[in-house]
Amino acid sequence: MRLKRKLVLGIAMMLVLSTLLLAACSSNQQEAGSREEVEEQVQVDVFQFKVEIVKELEEAARAYEDENPNVKINIQTVGGGDDYGAALRAIFQSGNEPTIFNIGGPQDVEDWMSKLEDLSDQPWVDLALDGMLSGATVDGKVYALPFNIEGYGLVYNKGIFEEAGIDGSKIVDFASLEEAAKTLDAKIKAGELKDQYPLLEAVFEYAARETWLTGLHTSNAFLGQEFDSSIDSYDAKTIEFKYADQLKQLIDLQANYSSNANSKRNLNTVDYTTQVEEGIAIERVAIIQQGNWIYGGVQGVDPEVADNLDILPIPVIGAKENSIPVGVPMHWSINKGAGDTEKEAAKDFLNWLYTSDTGKDFIVNKFYFIPPLKGFDNFEPQDSLGRAVKRYAEAGNTIPWVFMGYPTGWGMEILGSNIQKYYDGSFTWEEVISHAKTQWEDMR
Amino acid sequence: MKNSKLSFTFFVGPILLSFVVVVIIPILMGIYFSFTNWNGINNNADWIGLRNYINVFTRDKEFLNAFKFTAKFAFVSVITINAMGFGLALLVTKGLKISNFLRSIFFMPNLIGGLILGFIWQFIFTRAFHSLGVRWGISFLQGWLATTSTGFWGLVILMSWQMAGYMMVIYIAAIENIPKSMYEAAEIDGANKLQTLRHITVPLVAPAFTVGIFLTLSNSFKLYDQNLSLTRGNPYNSTQMIAMNIYNTAFTFNNFGLAQAKAVIFLISVAAITLTQIYYSKKKEVEM
Repeated sequence: MRLKRKLVLGIAMMLVLSTLLLAACSSNQQEAGSREEVEEQVQVDVFQFKVEIVKELEEAARAYEDENPNVKINIQTVGGGDDYGAALRAIFQSGNEPTIFNIGGPQDVEDWMSKLEDLSDQPWVDLALDGMLSGATVDGKVYALPFNIEGYGLVYNKGIFEEAGIDGSKIVDFASLEEAAKTLDAKIKAGELKDQYPLLEAVFEYAARETWLTGLHTSNAFLGQEFDSSIDSYDAKTIEFKYADQLKQLIDLQANYSSNANSKRNLNTVDYTTQVEEGIAIERVAIIQQGNWIYGGVQGVDPEVADNLDILPIPVIGAKENSIPVGVPMHWSINKGAGDTEKEAAKDFLNWLYTSDTGKDFIVNKFYFIPPLKGFDNFEPQDSLGRAVKRYAEAGNTIPWVFMGYPTGWGMEILGSNIQKYYDGSFTWEEVISHAKTQWEDMR
Repeated sequence: MKNSKLSFTFFVGPILLSFVVVVIIPILMGIYFSFTNWNGINNNADWIGLRNYINVFTRDKEFLNAFKFTAKFAFVSVITINAMGFGLALLVTKGLKISNFLRSIFFMPNLIGGLILGFIWQFIFTRAFHSLGVRWGISFLQGWLATTSTGFWGLVILMSWQMAGYMMVIYIAAIENIPKSMYEAAEIDGANKLQTLRHITVPLVAPAFTVGIFLTLSNSFKLYDQNLSLTRGNPYNSTQMIAMNIYNTAFTFNNFGLAQAKAVIFLISVAAITLTQIYYSKKKEVEM
C-alpha cells in the first residue's frame, strides 16, 4: 500500500511539474498574442541574400517603419560565399518561416511553388520592363518581383589602361582582349607602371574558389549563346556545349595573366574578397570578371578607383563577341503561408520600396540597383558599373542569364569543381566538358 | 528496494520522456525518410524502398571519397591530438612555476568557436604562409589549401591545435590522480624517467586514454564547422567530410531522402567504430 501511495504521489508530482512547464509556455504565447492585438503590431520577417546591401536595406526598413509605425521589419541576410538556397530550406524546416524571401530562376519557382503568393494584382506588375517578369511568371501569374537588373563582364580599371596606353573602348573581340592582356602583362613585368600603381602585380585575378563565379557566371556567357532564356535551359535534357573551346580560351586567359600564372592550382584558393576588395579595389590587378554588384565594395575601399571602373565584353569567338550577360538575379517573393496581415504589410513594403520616391532613391542611389521597372526616369544609375551595364543593355549587346535554368547544383558542384580540377591538373579540358555533359543528362 | 524503484521512476521518467521526444523519435523519422524521395519542401514523400541506399554505394562516388577522407583524417588527428594533449599534460604537471598560466594558454583555443578558428587558420595558411614562402623562397609554404593534401594537413593542424588543450585537461586529471608513492617506489628501485613514464604513468592513465580517444574519434568523424570555414570542401570537393557531404546532398541538391540514407549509414559506422575502440581500450586499462 505504501509503495502504491508513493508511486501515485510521484506520478502526481510529475504531472504537476509538466503542466507547470507547459502552462509557462502557453501563458507566454498568450501574452505576446494579446499585445499584438492591442497595438496591431505587424512583424514582417525578411530573409534575403544580398550581402552588399545589408546596411542600406536596414535603413530603408527603418524609413518604412517611420511612415508605418505599426509595422516592424526584421531583416536577416545569408549570402555572399554561402549558399542562400540551403539556408532558406533550413529556415523553412526550422519552422521560423520568413514573410518575404528571395527566389532565383525557374527551378526555384518550381521548388517553392507551394509557398509562393500570387502577386499578379500588384501595381508594379504593369511597370515592369519587357521580359523582366518572365523568370517568375507561371501560367500567366506573376509570383515574384524582380530585384534589379544585373550584368557582369570583365570589369577593368580605366586608369591603368590609360597609363599603359590601351583604349578599353576598342576592345570588342577576343583578339583585341588577348592583345591588351599581353601588352599590359609585358608592361607590368617590365615595371613600367610601378610609379603610378605600386601594388599592381597582374592583369587578371580569377576567384576559382567561388564556384558560382566559374560554374555559373563564366559558363553562362557561353551557354547563354546556346540557349535563349533560362526557361529554355531549364527544359533542356542535354547540352551541346557548342562553345566549349571558347570557354577554355577565357579560363586560360584569366589564369595565364593572373598572379598565380605559374601555379594555377593556387587560383582555387582565391576567393571573392581577394578578387574584389584586395584585388581590383587596391589596384593590385587591372581586370576581373565580376558584375556591377561589386561597386559598393570597391567604393568602400577606394571611391576613386570605383568611379574609374568600366566593363569589357566577354568575347565568344563565333558568336556574340561584344556582349555581356544581363539578367534578373533574384526575385522578392512572399510566403503564401504567412498570416494575412503580414502578407498585406509585406506587399505594401515591396511596393513602397519600388514605387515611392523614397524607395526609388534607396533602390538607385543607396543599393546601386539598376531598376527592373519603368518610372525611374529621374533616378539614373550613379555608379560607373551601373551605367556600363545600362549602356550594353540599351545597345542590345546582351546575353541572357540562363544559369538559373541549370540543373540544381550542376553549375557550382559539377562544372565549378571541374574547372578547379582543370586548374589543379587532375582533369584535362576534354574531361571537364564531357563529365559536365553527362552529369547534366544524369541530373535531368 | 521499494524506495529506489520509486525514485528511479521519478528521476529517470522526465529525462526518458524528453530523450524519446528529441532523440529517439527524430531518429525513427529519419530512418523512415531514408526510404523516401523527400525533397525537403513538400510534405508528401513517396516510398522508394532501398533505392537510396543502393544509390549511395553505386552512383555517388563523392560519398565514398568523403568517407575515406574522413576516416583518414580521424585516424591521423586522433593520434596527433592525443599525443599533443598527453605531452602538454606531462609538461604542465612537472611543477613548473608557470604551470597554471600554461594550462590556461593551452586550453584557450578550445574556447574559440570552430567557424572563427577556421577562418583564422585559412588566413594563416593562405596569406601568412604564402608571404613567408615568397620572402624566403620556400615553395612548400606556398599554395596551402590549394591541393587535397595541404587541405588535409591544414585540417589536422587546425584540429590538433584546438583539441589538444581539451585533451590535456583530461590527462592532467588522470596524471594527478596517480599516487606519489608509486613514483617514489620507482625512484628507489632505480627506474629512470623514461621507464617511470612507460611503466607507471601510461598504464595508470589508460582509462583517460579510453575517454580521450573516444572523444577525439567521434568528434573527428562528426566534424563540420571547421571543415566548412577552412576549406569548404575545396579544391573540387576533395576535402569534403561526411557531415558536409550529407548537408550538401540535402540542402544543395534537395535530395533529403538520399541524405538521410547517408546519415543512417554514417550513424551506424560511427557507432561501430567507436564501440570497437572502447571495447579494445577498456581491455588495456589496469585496476589499481
